[in-house]
Amino acid sequence: MMFSRRLRQFAAIAAKTTILVLSVVFFFALSAEEVSAQKRFSKTYPAAKNIRLQLTNRSGTVIVEGWDRDEVRITALLEAPAANIVPQSLSGRIVIDVRKENQGRSDVGNVNFTIKVPFTSSVDIETVMGNLNVSNVNGGFVRAHITSEGDITLTNISAGSVSAENVIGDIFFDGDVQGTGSYRFASTRGNINLRIPLNSSFRLVATAPSTRSISLGSFSNQGLTFVGDGRRVVGKVGDGSASVIVSNQRGNISFIRR
Amino acid sequence: MNCERCQELLSEYIDGELDKKLSAEMDSHLGLCLECAELHEDFSGILLLCDKKEITEESAPPNPQAMWCRISNIIEAEIKPEIEKEQEIKAQRRGFFGGKNWSLSFSQIAASIVGIAIISSLLTFVGLKNAATEDLTTRASSAPPSLFQRALSKIGLAETAQETRERKVREQQALIEYWNKRVEARKALWDKPLREAFDRNLREIDQVVFDYTQTLEKDPFDELSGEMLDSALNEKMDLLREFSDL
Repeated sequence: MMFSRRLRQFAAIAAKTTILVLSVVFFFALSAEEVSAQKRFSKTYPAAKNIRLQLTNRSGTVIVEGWDRDEVRITALLEAPAANIVPQSLSGRIVIDVRKENQGRSDVGNVNFTIKVPFTSSVDIETVMGNLNVSNVNGGFVRAHITSEGDITLTNISAGSVSAENVIGDIFFDGDVQGTGSYRFASTRGNINLRIPLNSSFRLVATAPSTRSISLGSFSNQGLTFVGDGRRVVGKVGDGSASVIVSNQRGNISFIRR
Repeated sequence: MNCERCQELLSEYIDGELDKKLSAEMDSHLGLCLECAELHEDFSGILLLCDKKEITEESAPPNPQAMWCRISNIIEAEIKPEIEKEQEIKAQRRGFFGGKNWSLSFSQIAASIVGIAIISSLLTFVGLKNAATEDLTTRASSAPPSLFQRALSKIGLAETAQETRERKVREQQALIEYWNKRVEARKALWDKPLREAFDRNLREIDQVVFDYTQTLEKDPFDELSGEMLDSALNEKMDLLREFSDL
Protein backbone atom coordinates (compact mmCIF):
# COMPACT_ATOMS: atom_id res chain seq x y z
CA MET A 1 0.00 0.00 0.00
CA MET A 2 2.79 2.32 1.09
CA PHE A 3 4.85 1.28 -1.89
CA SER A 4 1.97 1.91 -4.26
CA ARG A 5 1.43 5.50 -2.95
CA ARG A 6 5.13 6.29 -3.34
CA LEU A 7 5.06 4.93 -6.81
CA ARG A 8 2.12 7.17 -7.75
CA GLN A 9 3.92 10.23 -6.28
CA PHE A 10 7.02 9.40 -8.24
CA ALA A 11 5.00 8.95 -11.40
CA ALA A 12 3.32 12.36 -10.89
CA ILE A 13 6.66 14.12 -10.32
CA ALA A 14 8.11 12.40 -13.36
CA ALA A 15 5.17 13.51 -15.48
CA LYS A 16 5.47 17.14 -14.29
CA THR A 17 9.18 17.16 -14.93
CA THR A 18 8.66 15.73 -18.39
CA ILE A 19 6.07 18.42 -19.20
CA LEU A 20 8.41 21.14 -17.89
CA VAL A 21 11.36 19.85 -19.89
CA LEU A 22 9.24 19.52 -23.02
CA SER A 23 7.94 23.09 -22.56
CA VAL A 24 11.46 24.46 -22.24
CA VAL A 25 12.60 22.51 -25.28
CA PHE A 26 9.56 23.70 -27.27
CA PHE A 27 10.15 27.34 -26.24
CA PHE A 28 13.79 27.28 -27.29
CA ALA A 29 12.93 25.49 -30.51
CA LEU A 30 10.39 28.21 -31.37
CA SER A 31 12.84 31.01 -30.59
CA ALA A 32 15.48 29.36 -32.69
CA GLU A 33 13.00 29.17 -35.56
CA GLU A 34 12.24 32.93 -35.22
CA VAL A 35 15.92 33.77 -35.23
CA SER A 36 16.56 31.67 -38.29
CA ALA A 37 13.51 33.34 -40.05
CA GLN A 38 15.25 36.74 -40.02
CA LYS A 39 17.92 36.89 -42.68
CA ARG A 40 20.70 39.38 -42.76
CA PHE A 41 22.15 41.12 -45.80
CA SER A 42 25.28 43.25 -45.78
CA LYS A 43 27.36 44.74 -48.53
CA THR A 44 29.75 47.68 -48.94
CA TYR A 45 30.33 49.66 -52.13
CA PRO A 46 33.04 52.23 -52.87
CA ALA A 47 31.35 55.53 -53.63
CA ALA A 48 32.03 59.09 -54.70
CA LYS A 49 31.44 61.83 -52.14
CA ASN A 50 28.34 63.06 -53.97
CA ILE A 51 26.78 59.64 -54.56
CA ARG A 52 23.03 59.39 -54.85
CA LEU A 53 21.25 56.68 -52.84
CA GLN A 54 17.98 55.64 -54.39
CA LEU A 55 15.96 53.21 -52.27
CA THR A 56 12.44 51.96 -52.95
CA ASN A 57 11.24 49.76 -50.12
CA ARG A 58 7.95 48.01 -49.53
CA SER A 59 7.66 47.89 -45.76
CA GLY A 60 10.05 48.14 -42.84
CA THR A 61 12.23 50.73 -41.18
CA VAL A 62 14.89 52.59 -43.13
CA ILE A 63 17.79 54.32 -41.39
CA VAL A 64 20.27 56.31 -43.47
CA GLU A 65 23.26 57.92 -41.79
CA GLY A 66 26.02 60.05 -43.19
CA TRP A 67 29.60 59.08 -42.38
CA ASP A 68 33.10 60.26 -43.28
CA ARG A 69 34.03 57.39 -45.58
CA ASP A 70 33.84 57.27 -49.35
CA GLU A 71 31.74 54.13 -49.33
CA VAL A 72 28.17 53.01 -48.91
CA ARG A 73 27.44 50.17 -46.49
CA ILE A 74 24.07 48.51 -46.80
CA THR A 75 22.83 46.32 -43.97
CA ALA A 76 19.36 44.82 -44.11
CA LEU A 77 17.41 42.54 -41.82
CA LEU A 78 14.89 40.62 -43.86
CA GLU A 79 11.84 39.29 -42.10
CA ALA A 80 10.20 36.12 -43.37
CA PRO A 81 9.17 35.56 -46.05
CA ALA A 82 12.42 37.22 -47.05
CA ALA A 83 12.47 39.67 -49.91
CA ASN A 84 15.02 39.60 -52.70
CA ILE A 85 17.53 42.43 -52.56
CA VAL A 86 19.91 43.18 -55.39
CA PRO A 87 21.56 46.58 -54.88
CA GLN A 88 23.02 48.08 -58.04
CA SER A 89 25.98 50.39 -58.21
CA LEU A 90 25.46 52.52 -61.29
CA SER A 91 27.38 55.60 -62.36
CA GLY A 92 27.09 57.94 -59.38
CA ARG A 93 24.13 56.04 -57.93
CA ILE A 94 23.38 53.15 -55.62
CA VAL A 95 19.95 51.79 -56.47
CA ILE A 96 17.94 49.36 -54.31
CA ASP A 97 14.45 48.62 -55.58
CA VAL A 98 12.79 46.09 -53.28
CA ARG A 99 9.40 46.57 -54.89
CA LYS A 100 10.61 45.94 -58.41
CA GLU A 101 12.68 42.93 -57.43
CA ASN A 102 9.73 41.34 -55.63
CA GLN A 103 7.05 42.34 -58.14
CA GLY A 104 4.15 39.88 -58.19
CA ARG A 105 4.95 38.47 -54.75
CA SER A 106 2.28 39.04 -52.15
CA ASP A 107 4.23 37.35 -49.33
CA VAL A 108 7.13 39.69 -48.70
CA GLY A 109 8.24 40.37 -45.13
CA ASN A 110 9.54 43.67 -43.80
CA VAL A 111 12.99 44.76 -44.86
CA ASN A 112 14.74 46.89 -42.23
CA PHE A 113 17.62 48.83 -43.72
CA THR A 114 20.54 50.57 -42.10
CA ILE A 115 22.59 52.36 -44.72
CA LYS A 116 25.72 54.41 -44.25
CA VAL A 117 26.51 56.97 -46.94
CA PRO A 118 29.18 59.69 -47.40
CA PHE A 119 28.16 62.98 -45.72
CA THR A 120 27.67 64.81 -49.00
CA SER A 121 25.39 62.22 -50.58
CA SER A 122 21.90 62.82 -51.95
CA VAL A 123 19.22 60.53 -50.57
CA ASP A 124 15.97 59.50 -52.22
CA ILE A 125 13.87 57.02 -50.20
CA GLU A 126 10.41 55.82 -51.03
CA THR A 127 8.43 53.19 -49.14
CA VAL A 128 4.84 51.99 -48.83
CA MET A 129 4.89 51.78 -45.03
CA GLY A 130 7.45 52.05 -42.24
CA ASN A 131 9.53 54.69 -40.54
CA LEU A 132 12.24 56.63 -42.35
CA ASN A 133 15.22 58.19 -40.58
CA VAL A 134 17.90 60.20 -42.32
CA SER A 135 20.69 61.91 -40.40
CA ASN A 136 23.97 63.77 -40.99
CA VAL A 137 23.47 64.29 -44.71
CA ASN A 138 24.73 67.47 -46.39
CA GLY A 139 24.26 66.64 -50.07
CA GLY A 140 22.19 68.07 -52.91
CA PHE A 141 18.82 66.75 -51.84
CA VAL A 142 16.93 64.56 -49.39
CA ARG A 143 13.59 63.06 -50.35
CA ALA A 144 11.60 60.84 -47.99
CA HIS A 145 8.24 59.63 -49.24
CA ILE A 146 5.91 57.20 -47.45
CA THR A 147 2.84 56.19 -49.44
CA SER A 148 0.81 55.34 -46.34
CA GLU A 149 1.95 55.39 -42.70
CA GLY A 150 5.21 55.89 -40.90
CA ASP A 151 7.18 58.64 -39.19
CA ILE A 152 9.82 60.64 -41.04
CA THR A 153 12.76 61.93 -39.03
CA LEU A 154 15.36 64.05 -40.77
CA THR A 155 18.15 65.12 -38.41
CA ASN A 156 21.16 67.33 -39.05
CA ILE A 157 20.33 67.85 -42.72
CA SER A 158 21.87 70.52 -44.91
CA ALA A 159 20.56 70.16 -48.45
CA GLY A 160 19.29 72.49 -51.15
CA SER A 161 16.14 70.50 -51.63
CA VAL A 162 14.25 68.56 -48.97
CA SER A 163 10.94 66.82 -49.38
CA ALA A 164 9.07 64.68 -46.82
CA GLU A 165 5.58 63.24 -47.35
CA ASN A 166 3.38 60.70 -45.62
CA VAL A 167 -0.31 60.08 -44.93
CA ILE A 168 -0.37 59.06 -41.26
CA GLY A 169 2.67 59.82 -39.13
CA ASP A 170 4.85 62.61 -37.77
CA ILE A 171 7.44 64.53 -39.71
CA PHE A 172 10.44 66.04 -37.97
CA PHE A 173 13.04 68.12 -39.78
CA ASP A 174 16.15 69.43 -38.09
CA GLY A 175 18.50 71.23 -40.42
CA ASP A 176 19.50 74.26 -42.44
CA VAL A 177 17.46 76.27 -44.89
CA GLN A 178 19.82 77.10 -47.72
CA GLY A 179 19.41 80.22 -49.88
CA THR A 180 17.29 79.51 -53.00
CA GLY A 181 16.56 76.05 -51.55
CA SER A 182 13.23 74.28 -51.74
CA TYR A 183 11.67 72.56 -48.71
CA ARG A 184 8.35 70.73 -48.80
CA PHE A 185 6.66 68.84 -45.98
CA ALA A 186 3.20 67.29 -46.30
CA SER A 187 1.14 65.00 -44.13
CA THR A 188 -2.53 64.10 -43.79
CA ARG A 189 -2.52 63.22 -40.12
CA GLY A 190 0.44 63.73 -37.84
CA ASN A 191 2.53 66.52 -36.42
CA ILE A 192 5.03 68.40 -38.50
CA ASN A 193 7.89 69.91 -36.50
CA LEU A 194 10.54 71.97 -38.22
CA ARG A 195 13.69 72.92 -36.36
CA ILE A 196 15.59 75.53 -38.36
CA PRO A 197 18.04 78.35 -37.61
CA LEU A 198 16.52 81.69 -36.69
CA ASN A 199 18.56 83.52 -39.33
CA SER A 200 17.07 81.45 -42.17
CA SER A 201 15.63 83.31 -45.18
CA PHE A 202 12.57 81.85 -46.85
CA ARG A 203 9.11 82.40 -48.25
CA LEU A 204 6.61 80.41 -46.23
CA VAL A 205 3.24 78.91 -47.08
CA ALA A 206 2.14 76.74 -44.13
CA THR A 207 -1.38 75.29 -44.17
CA ALA A 208 -3.18 73.42 -41.38
CA PRO A 209 -6.83 73.84 -42.38
CA SER A 210 -8.43 71.42 -39.97
CA THR A 211 -6.65 72.18 -36.69
CA ARG A 212 -5.59 75.76 -37.56
CA SER A 213 -2.69 75.00 -35.28
CA ILE A 214 0.40 76.63 -36.75
CA SER A 215 2.95 77.53 -34.10
CA LEU A 216 5.58 79.92 -35.41
CA GLY A 217 7.65 80.01 -32.23
CA SER A 218 10.60 82.40 -32.56
CA PHE A 219 9.57 83.18 -36.16
CA SER A 220 6.24 84.72 -35.11
CA ASN A 221 7.48 88.32 -35.27
CA GLN A 222 9.20 88.02 -38.64
CA GLY A 223 6.60 89.31 -41.08
CA LEU A 224 4.45 86.19 -41.31
CA THR A 225 0.70 86.61 -41.61
CA PHE A 226 -2.23 84.33 -40.84
CA VAL A 227 -4.79 84.23 -43.65
CA GLY A 228 -7.96 82.27 -44.47
CA ASP A 229 -9.34 82.40 -40.92
CA GLY A 230 -6.05 81.22 -39.45
CA ARG A 231 -5.82 78.16 -41.65
CA ARG A 232 -2.69 79.33 -43.44
CA VAL A 233 0.43 81.36 -42.71
CA VAL A 234 2.18 83.20 -45.51
CA GLY A 235 5.04 85.65 -45.72
CA LYS A 236 8.73 86.24 -46.04
CA VAL A 237 11.39 85.66 -43.43
CA GLY A 238 14.65 87.50 -44.16
CA ASP A 239 15.15 88.09 -47.86
CA GLY A 240 12.82 85.18 -48.68
CA SER A 241 15.25 83.48 -51.02
CA ALA A 242 14.32 79.86 -50.18
CA SER A 243 10.86 78.34 -50.40
CA VAL A 244 9.24 76.45 -47.50
CA ILE A 245 5.85 74.84 -48.15
CA VAL A 246 4.21 72.92 -45.32
CA SER A 247 0.81 71.28 -45.48
CA ASN A 248 -0.89 69.23 -42.80
CA GLN A 249 -4.50 68.29 -43.50
CA ARG A 250 -5.45 67.13 -40.00
CA GLY A 251 -2.49 67.89 -37.79
CA ASN A 252 -0.30 70.60 -36.30
CA ILE A 253 2.66 72.51 -37.67
CA SER A 254 5.37 73.85 -35.36
CA PHE A 255 8.50 75.86 -35.99
CA ILE A 256 11.31 75.49 -33.49
CA ARG A 257 14.43 77.60 -33.31
CA ARG A 258 17.55 75.58 -34.01
CA MET B 1 20.45 121.73 -115.32
CA ASN B 2 18.13 118.78 -115.08
CA CYS B 3 15.09 117.84 -117.20
CA GLU B 4 12.55 118.98 -114.61
CA ARG B 5 14.05 122.47 -114.38
CA CYS B 6 14.37 122.63 -118.16
CA GLN B 7 10.68 121.77 -118.71
CA GLU B 8 9.71 124.30 -116.07
CA LEU B 9 11.53 127.08 -117.90
CA LEU B 10 10.68 125.91 -121.41
CA SER B 11 7.78 128.28 -121.93
CA GLU B 12 9.77 131.34 -120.82
CA TYR B 13 12.71 130.15 -122.95
CA ILE B 14 10.58 129.99 -126.08
CA ASP B 15 9.17 133.44 -125.31
CA GLY B 16 12.74 134.74 -124.80
CA GLU B 17 12.11 135.88 -121.26
CA LEU B 18 15.06 134.16 -119.61
CA ASP B 19 18.29 135.90 -118.72
CA LYS B 20 21.43 135.09 -120.66
CA LYS B 21 22.85 132.70 -118.12
CA LEU B 22 19.71 130.57 -117.84
CA SER B 23 19.16 130.75 -121.56
CA ALA B 24 22.72 129.44 -122.12
CA GLU B 25 22.10 126.63 -119.66
CA MET B 26 18.86 125.75 -121.48
CA ASP B 27 20.73 125.70 -124.78
CA SER B 28 23.35 123.33 -123.48
CA HIS B 29 20.71 121.01 -121.89
CA LEU B 30 18.57 120.92 -125.02
CA GLY B 31 21.67 120.13 -127.00
CA LEU B 32 22.34 117.10 -124.82
CA CYS B 33 18.84 115.83 -123.86
CA LEU B 34 16.80 114.32 -126.69
CA GLU B 35 13.57 114.15 -124.69
CA CYS B 36 13.63 117.80 -123.71
CA ALA B 37 14.69 118.77 -127.25
CA GLU B 38 11.65 116.97 -128.74
CA LEU B 39 9.37 118.62 -126.23
CA HIS B 40 10.87 121.96 -127.16
CA GLU B 41 10.27 121.32 -130.83
CA ASP B 42 6.63 120.27 -130.31
CA PHE B 43 5.91 123.19 -128.10
CA SER B 44 7.56 125.64 -130.49
CA GLY B 45 5.58 124.18 -133.43
CA ILE B 46 2.24 124.63 -131.66
CA LEU B 47 3.06 128.19 -130.75
CA LEU B 48 4.18 128.90 -134.27
CA LEU B 49 0.91 127.58 -135.63
CA CYS B 50 -1.10 129.62 -133.17
CA ASP B 51 0.83 132.73 -134.08
CA LYS B 52 -0.38 132.51 -137.76
CA LYS B 53 -3.01 135.20 -138.40
CA GLU B 54 -4.90 133.35 -141.06
CA ILE B 55 -6.11 129.86 -140.57
CA THR B 56 -6.62 128.30 -143.91
CA GLU B 57 -9.38 125.79 -144.64
CA GLU B 58 -6.83 122.98 -144.94
CA SER B 59 -5.49 123.62 -141.53
CA ALA B 60 -8.94 123.92 -139.88
CA PRO B 61 -10.70 120.67 -138.89
CA PRO B 62 -13.66 119.78 -141.13
CA ASN B 63 -16.00 119.24 -138.17
CA PRO B 64 -14.61 120.75 -134.98
CA GLN B 65 -17.46 119.43 -132.81
CA ALA B 66 -16.94 115.84 -133.96
CA MET B 67 -13.21 116.18 -133.37
CA TRP B 68 -13.72 117.36 -129.73
CA CYS B 69 -16.13 114.49 -129.25
CA ARG B 70 -13.47 112.02 -130.40
CA ILE B 71 -10.84 113.62 -128.17
CA SER B 72 -13.22 113.44 -125.24
CA ASN B 73 -13.91 109.73 -125.91
CA ILE B 74 -10.20 108.94 -126.07
CA ILE B 75 -9.53 110.76 -122.80
CA GLU B 76 -12.43 109.00 -121.07
CA ALA B 77 -11.28 105.62 -122.38
CA GLU B 78 -7.83 106.23 -120.88
CA ILE B 79 -9.02 107.61 -117.56
CA LYS B 80 -11.90 105.14 -116.87
CA PRO B 81 -9.79 102.07 -115.91
CA GLU B 82 -7.75 104.20 -113.54
CA ILE B 83 -10.90 105.50 -111.85
CA GLU B 84 -12.29 101.97 -111.54
CA LYS B 85 -9.01 100.78 -110.03
CA GLU B 86 -9.08 103.59 -107.47
CA GLN B 87 -12.69 102.78 -106.59
CA GLU B 88 -11.76 99.12 -106.11
CA ILE B 89 -8.96 100.02 -103.68
CA LYS B 90 -11.28 102.33 -101.78
CA ALA B 91 -13.89 99.55 -101.53
CA GLN B 92 -11.20 97.19 -100.12
CA ARG B 93 -10.18 99.77 -97.53
CA ARG B 94 -13.82 100.22 -96.57
CA GLY B 95 -14.02 96.47 -96.05
CA PHE B 96 -11.05 96.43 -93.70
CA PHE B 97 -11.51 99.65 -91.81
CA GLY B 98 -15.22 100.44 -91.95
CA GLY B 99 -15.15 102.86 -94.80
CA LYS B 100 -12.76 105.36 -93.29
CA ASN B 101 -9.66 106.60 -94.95
CA TRP B 102 -6.85 105.16 -92.83
CA SER B 103 -3.87 106.84 -94.38
CA LEU B 104 -1.90 107.89 -91.31
CA SER B 105 1.04 110.16 -90.92
CA PHE B 106 4.26 109.01 -89.28
CA SER B 107 3.48 110.89 -86.07
CA GLN B 108 0.01 109.32 -85.90
CA ILE B 109 1.48 105.82 -86.36
CA ALA B 110 4.13 106.52 -83.71
CA ALA B 111 1.49 107.83 -81.29
CA SER B 112 -0.64 104.72 -81.88
CA ILE B 113 2.31 102.41 -81.18
CA VAL B 114 3.16 104.27 -77.97
CA GLY B 115 -0.50 104.15 -76.90
CA ILE B 116 -0.74 100.37 -77.50
CA ALA B 117 2.53 99.81 -75.61
CA ILE B 118 1.28 101.82 -72.60
CA ILE B 119 -2.07 99.98 -72.51
CA SER B 120 -0.36 96.55 -72.79
CA SER B 121 2.09 97.45 -70.00
CA LEU B 122 -0.76 98.58 -67.74
CA LEU B 123 -2.75 95.42 -68.41
CA THR B 124 0.31 93.24 -67.76
CA PHE B 125 1.13 95.11 -64.56
CA VAL B 126 -2.45 94.83 -63.25
CA GLY B 127 -2.56 91.14 -64.23
CA LEU B 128 0.73 90.34 -62.49
CA LYS B 129 -0.27 92.30 -59.42
CA ASN B 130 -3.55 90.41 -59.20
CA ALA B 131 -1.80 87.08 -59.69
CA ALA B 132 0.74 87.83 -56.95
CA THR B 133 -1.95 89.01 -54.54
CA GLU B 134 -4.07 85.99 -55.34
CA ASP B 135 -1.17 83.63 -54.70
CA LEU B 136 -0.50 84.74 -51.17
CA THR B 137 -3.68 86.13 -49.76
CA THR B 138 -6.80 85.91 -51.90
CA ARG B 139 -6.42 82.22 -52.51
CA ALA B 140 -6.65 81.60 -48.80
CA SER B 141 -9.84 83.57 -48.41
CA SER B 142 -13.24 83.31 -49.99
CA ALA B 143 -13.35 85.38 -53.18
CA PRO B 144 -16.46 85.18 -55.38
CA PRO B 145 -15.81 85.66 -59.11
CA SER B 146 -16.01 89.17 -60.50
CA LEU B 147 -18.88 90.34 -62.66
CA PHE B 148 -16.61 90.15 -65.70
CA GLN B 149 -15.63 86.55 -64.90
CA ARG B 150 -19.26 85.58 -64.42
CA ALA B 151 -20.22 87.22 -67.71
CA LEU B 152 -17.45 85.35 -69.55
CA SER B 153 -18.51 82.14 -67.88
CA LYS B 154 -22.14 82.60 -68.90
CA ILE B 155 -21.31 83.03 -72.54
CA GLY B 156 -19.00 80.01 -72.32
CA LEU B 157 -15.75 81.88 -72.90
CA ALA B 158 -14.21 81.14 -69.51
CA GLU B 159 -14.62 78.92 -66.47
CA THR B 160 -15.05 80.29 -62.98
CA ALA B 161 -12.74 78.89 -60.30
CA GLN B 162 -15.64 76.80 -59.02
CA GLU B 163 -16.35 75.32 -62.47
CA THR B 164 -12.66 74.54 -62.97
CA ARG B 165 -12.53 72.82 -59.59
CA GLU B 166 -15.67 70.80 -60.26
CA ARG B 167 -14.32 69.66 -63.60
CA LYS B 168 -11.00 68.69 -62.03
CA VAL B 169 -12.72 66.79 -59.22
CA ARG B 170 -14.76 64.83 -61.81
CA GLU B 171 -11.54 63.92 -63.64
CA GLN B 172 -9.84 62.88 -60.41
CA GLN B 173 -12.84 60.78 -59.34
CA ALA B 174 -12.74 58.94 -62.67
CA LEU B 175 -9.06 58.09 -62.14
CA ILE B 176 -9.72 57.08 -58.53
CA GLU B 177 -12.42 54.67 -59.71
CA TYR B 178 -9.99 53.11 -62.16
CA TRP B 179 -7.25 52.59 -59.53
CA ASN B 180 -9.80 51.43 -56.97
CA LYS B 181 -10.87 48.59 -59.26
CA ARG B 182 -7.26 47.51 -59.62
CA VAL B 183 -6.76 47.64 -55.86
CA GLU B 184 -9.87 45.53 -55.25
CA ALA B 185 -8.51 42.91 -57.61
CA ARG B 186 -5.20 42.75 -55.70
CA LYS B 187 -6.50 43.16 -52.16
CA ALA B 188 -7.22 39.46 -51.57
CA LEU B 189 -3.53 38.68 -52.04
CA TRP B 190 -2.31 41.05 -49.32
CA ASP B 191 -1.46 39.95 -45.81
CA LYS B 192 -3.48 41.24 -42.89
CA PRO B 193 -1.14 44.08 -41.74
CA LEU B 194 -0.96 45.49 -45.27
CA ARG B 195 -4.73 45.32 -45.72
CA GLU B 196 -5.30 47.02 -42.39
CA ALA B 197 -2.76 49.74 -43.14
CA PHE B 198 -4.37 50.43 -46.49
CA ASP B 199 -7.86 50.66 -45.01
CA ARG B 200 -6.67 52.94 -42.20
CA ASN B 201 -4.96 55.36 -44.58
CA LEU B 202 -7.79 55.36 -47.08
CA ARG B 203 -10.29 56.14 -44.29
CA GLU B 204 -8.13 59.05 -43.20
CA ILE B 205 -7.99 60.55 -46.68
CA ASP B 206 -11.69 59.91 -47.28
CA GLN B 207 -12.50 61.79 -44.10
CA VAL B 208 -10.49 64.77 -45.36
CA VAL B 209 -12.25 64.62 -48.75
CA PHE B 210 -15.62 64.49 -46.99
CA ASP B 211 -14.78 67.48 -44.75
CA TYR B 212 -13.70 69.70 -47.65
CA THR B 213 -16.61 68.65 -49.82
CA GLN B 214 -18.97 69.73 -47.04
CA THR B 215 -17.12 73.02 -46.52
CA LEU B 216 -17.29 73.73 -50.24
CA GLU B 217 -21.01 73.00 -50.33
CA LYS B 218 -21.47 75.72 -47.73
CA ASP B 219 -18.98 78.13 -49.31
CA PRO B 220 -18.24 77.26 -52.95
CA PHE B 221 -15.79 80.16 -53.23
CA ASP B 222 -13.48 78.96 -50.44
CA GLU B 223 -10.40 78.49 -52.57
CA LEU B 224 -8.24 77.17 -49.76
CA SER B 225 -10.65 74.29 -49.16
CA GLY B 226 -10.75 73.73 -52.91
CA GLU B 227 -6.97 73.53 -52.99
CA MET B 228 -6.90 71.12 -50.03
CA LEU B 229 -9.59 68.95 -51.61
CA ASP B 230 -7.52 68.76 -54.77
CA SER B 231 -4.46 67.79 -52.73
CA ALA B 232 -6.41 65.11 -50.77
CA LEU B 233 -7.79 63.60 -53.98
CA ASN B 234 -4.28 63.46 -55.42
CA GLU B 235 -3.08 61.71 -52.27
CA LYS B 236 -5.90 59.20 -52.54
CA MET B 237 -4.95 58.56 -56.15
CA ASP B 238 -1.29 58.04 -55.16
CA LEU B 239 -2.27 55.65 -52.38
CA LEU B 240 -4.47 53.57 -54.69
CA ARG B 241 -1.90 53.55 -57.48
CA GLU B 242 0.93 52.44 -55.19
CA PHE B 243 -1.12 49.73 -53.49
CA SER B 244 -2.51 48.44 -56.78
CA ASP B 245 1.06 47.42 -57.59
CA LEU B 246 1.54 45.29 -54.47
